[in-house]
Amino acid sequence: MSTPKVIIISSDDEKFPVEQKVAEKSILIKNMINDLNPDGLEEDFEIPTPNVRSNVLSKVLEWCEHHKNTVFADDEDEDVKKSLPVEEWDKNFLKVDQEMLYEIILAANYLNIKPLLESGCKMVAEMIKGKSPEELRRTFNIVSDFSPEEEAAIRRENEWAEDR
Amino acid sequence: MDTLEASQITPVLENKSIIMEKENNSPTSTKTVDIQVEQTTQVEQPQEENSAITPFLITHLSNQNLIPRDNFHKYCYRHNPDVTCNKLTDDIKMKDIQNRLERLPNRDQEAISHVWSIFNAAPVPQQKLILQGLLSQCCFPQLSFLSQEISSLIRIDFISALPQEISLKILCYLDCRSLCNAAQVSRKWKSLADDDRVWHHMCEQHIDRKCPNCGWGLPLMHMKRAREMQEDDDIRPIKRRHSEASAVKTAITAAKKEPAPTPPVIRKRPWKAVYSERYKLEKNWRKGIYTVKSFTGHTDGVTCLQFNRKYLMTGSYDTTIKIWKIETGECLKTLTGHTKGVRSLVFDNQKLITGGLDSTIKVWNYHTGECIATYRGHDDAVVSVDFSNKSIVSGSADHTVRIWHVDSRTCYTLRGHTDWVNCVKIHSASNTLFSASDDTTIRMWDMNTNQCLRVFGGASSNGHIAQVQCVIPFVYRQALVEDDPGSESEGETDLQHPPLLDSVQNDQPHEPLPANYPTHLLTSSLDNTIKLWDVQTGKCIRTQFGHIEGVWSINSDTFRIISGAHDRLIKVWDLQNGKCLHTFGNDSSVSCVGLSDSRFAAGLESGHVKMYFFD
Repeated sequence: MSTPKVIIISSDDEKFPVEQKVAEKSILIKNMINDLNPDGLEEDFEIPTPNVRSNVLSKVLEWCEHHKNTVFADDEDEDVKKSLPVEEWDKNFLKVDQEMLYEIILAANYLNIKPLLESGCKMVAEMIKGKSPEELRRTFNIVSDFSPEEEAAIRRENEWAEDR
Repeated sequence: MDTLEASQITPVLENKSIIMEKENNSPTSTKTVDIQVEQTTQVEQPQEENSAITPFLITHLSNQNLIPRDNFHKYCYRHNPDVTCNKLTDDIKMKDIQNRLERLPNRDQEAISHVWSIFNAAPVPQQKLILQGLLSQCCFPQLSFLSQEISSLIRIDFISALPQEISLKILCYLDCRSLCNAAQVSRKWKSLADDDRVWHHMCEQHIDRKCPNCGWGLPLMHMKRAREMQEDDDIRPIKRRHSEASAVKTAITAAKKEPAPTPPVIRKRPWKAVYSERYKLEKNWRKGIYTVKSFTGHTDGVTCLQFNRKYLMTGSYDTTIKIWKIETGECLKTLTGHTKGVRSLVFDNQKLITGGLDSTIKVWNYHTGECIATYRGHDDAVVSVDFSNKSIVSGSADHTVRIWHVDSRTCYTLRGHTDWVNCVKIHSASNTLFSASDDTTIRMWDMNTNQCLRVFGGASSNGHIAQVQCVIPFVYRQALVEDDPGSESEGETDLQHPPLLDSVQNDQPHEPLPANYPTHLLTSSLDNTIKLWDVQTGKCIRTQFGHIEGVWSINSDTFRIISGAHDRLIKVWDLQNGKCLHTFGNDSSVSCVGLSDSRFAAGLESGHVKMYFFD
């Protein structure tokens, strides 16, 4: 028989059979597999992910598939990782609408896929960078809940960072 | 009429949230039944519009069990009752739709709102089906309209909607200006963008180091202004910058280990305030925004100076040392005792040590003004002094360096230089001593064995070609910008290999130095240059040009080099990349300079002393 697969089931009951290696990009799933199969996988193994919709899950698994052989740096080098821009493939992969990006971030967080979460967060940070408060409100559809006086005071409070 | 129609549409638009909020109790198998009901009614009564719709609505509105099964799917971002921002903008759009609807004939209004009602009442999978059907009928211009509308419709307030720890993570990727803009967006954004954890991270990235991302580094400044609110400026006498600096450093790293220790007594300032204070200072340095204060009183050229937060001390050819209160500019004390000009001084909390043209070294209690000790031994002028713990070192016109061990009352003479020794500096961590001489070289000595460990100079090392006036050993772990070896006369150094590896195999093999040794030296010379040396290889790795006459004096901290030269100029340089940031002109040649986080001082041959304040 062929090597057993991991079958990930989305919240809307769609089944995604993937290689174990791909599934284990999710630390949550990896731990689940190891805990329940201490001697290794002998047959197909189903894992429900009740928090992830099928369209998001397929996207996340696409990422896992692409990165199945990528070795990610340890958490230790926080600084180094912080300073790196989003990898080109991830950047294109995450060029999606805000809803999808939002759900990918939540899914990466829930499934514990750190590098994907990291890329997602950096994409949002890129959307914030260099924008004025008004542009930020427009980008994210936010209505200011400050009074005009408060707004003026807060602007003064943050003036120091302008024009370096 | 108006009110009637309004009530027709409003419930339609609200229905969704009603449905979504209902709890789910029964299994999903009723799905198929619903569809059958719909189909049969359509077949049976095809002519009557209302009758096809009503059963559909009745079935689905009463049948609330088709909502998603778990909490996460209960609401989407738009229909989540906790997300209010979206609704405000949605409201505007709804009013617009309502107005346009009302302009239509009554019957059309009814028909259209039925279409909406059906869609709204349908269970989620069927909604998707309805949409797919509609989309397949659309013309391309309509689809194009949709794609435009959708991009403006799907906008999510990530920072408010995501779990807080993720939002903070996102904010940690921002620069300070973006963070300050983010703080002005809304209350929720402000609370997160001002969060102490985010700004602590910013401080870690920038304080006392040059951030590799943005090229900005912020000064440590002193402990009291770092985190604690109250200032007890006047009580403490004088503290060395060094110990204050390391205290803040400890505070930063300590805070890293235990995020919020919150000791009840001391009120801590927010990290954002800590950051902004330093940022403003750094901005002034960069933009060259400063004020100047002059200290006048010496009757001959000023040769040496040092200052801390409160006091400035200067030595002069007029044989005196003057102690100035920086804040007021007044001269507090004038110390007399040297019989010839004073050439060098160094002080800490308790004592001041001076070296003079009268060949003596004097130790002073500057609080009382009395001279505690005088050391004689040099055969010529003492041009430079330094001390560490219980050792005093001196460089002299008699070509020697002397180490005076105060406790054991012993003195060692270090021979090797063949001309005046202009500058001596102790590097305490490695217990080494550096000396700069008129013989164009710099020597590194082991203070335990009194042996010369290394000589820096000569054409093969790209050394100085005139008298070396000043040497500063320091540790720098990040990457310093170096000159391109290809452009130098020696040529053949392999660019690919870091200099550390190179040196081991190269012409003059050196034992690798222990980790506590300084990594680099800065030197200034009458050949008009400032040079940066790699201590390990003993080679000059960068030469800074700009002064057009000899550089008498340099000083440096984590970010900057300041230099004073015979060309009457003071220059401020970026330590990391060696670029000249500012040039300040004077009316006489500059013989000594001092530097701190927020100010620098220069002693002039005319006898004047100037201090530039950037805070």
